[in-house]
Amino acid sequence: MKFKDSLISRRKFLNGVLGGWLAALGATIIQPVIKFIFPPYQEPEEVILPAAEYQLNQPNSFKVFRWGNKPGILKRNDDGSLTAFVAVCTHLDCNVTYLPEQRKFYCACHDGWYDEQGRNIAGPPPQPLRTLEIIEEGENIILRKREKSA
Amino acid sequence: MPKQNWKEWWEERLGLESIFSFLRHKEVPRHKHTLWYYTGSAILVFFVIQVLTGFLLLLYYKPTLDEAHQSIQRLISEVPYGWLIRSIHHWSATMMIAFVFIHLMSIWLLKSYRKPRELTWMSGVFLLFITLGFGFTGYLLPWDELSLAATKVGTDIPRAIPLVGPWISELLRGGADVTGETLTRFFGLHVSILPMLIIFLLGFHLYLVQKQGMSVPFQGELKKEKLPYHSFWPNFVLRESIFWLILFGILITISVFFPRGLGNPADLLAPTPPGIKPEWYFLFIFQTLKLFPATILGISGETFAILFILAGVILFFFLPVIDNRPTGRKGQIITWAGVTLIIYALVMSIWSLL
Repeated sequence: MKFKDSLISRRKFLNGVLGGWLAALGATIIQPVIKFIFPPYQEPEEVILPAAEYQLNQPNSFKVFRWGNKPGILKRNDDGSLTAFVAVCTHLDCNVTYLPEQRKFYCACHDGWYDEQGRNIAGPPPQPLRTLEIIEEGENIILRKREKSA
Repeated sequence: MPKQNWKEWWEERLGLESIFSFLRHKEVPRHKHTLWYYTGSAILVFFVIQVLTGFLLLLYYKPTLDEAHQSIQRLISEVPYGWLIRSIHHWSATMMIAFVFIHLMSIWLLKSYRKPRELTWMSGVFLLFITLGFGFTGYLLPWDELSLAATKVGTDIPRAIPLVGPWISELLRGGADVTGETLTRFFGLHVSILPMLIIFLLGFHLYLVQKQGMSVPFQGELKKEKLPYHSFWPNFVLRESIFWLILFGILITISVFFPRGLGNPADLLAPTPPGIKPEWYFLFIFQTLKLFPATILGISGETFAILFILAGVILFFFLPVIDNRPTGRKGQIITWAGVTLIIYALVMSIWSLL
């Protein structure tokens, strides 16, 4: 049935109301389910390492630490400073290793190379390795996520 | 391709038109007991909710001694909506079992199990036990104090059955005691073996219901005239869907306002916490077992009680064989027995809570 000046029939209108309501109900069910499916893992804001275990007296020496679910590498540079890398290849997320003799980071998955400052120099990696902010505070070395913009 | 051709393409290959046509022509009789027809599909709705929320819980649950409790803890405290999904799984199980009991007793009292529906009843009794099995095995999985204690008691009960008892108990426990082995077994039962059995039996049960059509209680059949009816599709399904939505609303409301908690982690060496009780649907059996004295007629009271319950279960299963009178008969003794059973279960359950 359709009134004289109406644009849609009553049936169409009711179907729209009912269908819209069902769609809204469906959405309220789907939304929590989608939220639920993805685990609430977040990358750590910071990791605290005991300085005593990460002395790294020799230049060009390094040690692996745990950055959330990823490995990190703390490296002593020639000038005596420390650099902390997230030791995961920027290509496809494989773990990388530091080769002190060659002074390079190496990713075995697709033959990716980075220099000692973590810059991608050969192979597929599109970006340099991520580095972390280092704060030496008494007996602790605090490694902190850099802000995205920095 | 135009829409019509798509339809034909599928129809040519699947030939589902006969099923759709069957559903369009299926009739659901209208009479004063029509309401009870809704209980079957209510169970089905809760079953579907159980399957779906079960899939979701499987994403986070870890079925090992060291991790089970911790994984539930994380699920309800960290995972977005984890508490809600788990709470729904718990309350939907509760409501499903409640409706299984209602469905079953309505069929008993209306004598819908009579010829030719004996197998529908019997497959229904199997479905009841599988459903209770789901409840029993699922209860252990969070691995908290209460679930450990309840499972110790529950898996000890079969031990009183003569000859095969100790063997059944050991089979369930995966050893002489409830341990991490039991958890692994119950998990396997809960997510693999029981689901497979229930799908198979449910298919059989639903096939029989479609094959034989809806049972009409004797008052209706006695009139000999054709009863008014709803067509199954879409009239009856739409009516049912209103009921489903109401149930769904109740389920979500209860799940939100009474979220399922989690006790302290189970400790195999700790003393049992006081006041342990099984889930409500096992209370009347629990209370029955408590009533029997230590020894009766020279055998242990527990064995006697178990044999008593087993005899009850066998009578229950063979109800359509015991009461095989034609549908026209009222069967007042059976009605009386059914009412007695309901009152007995209610009284025993309430008593055990006092």
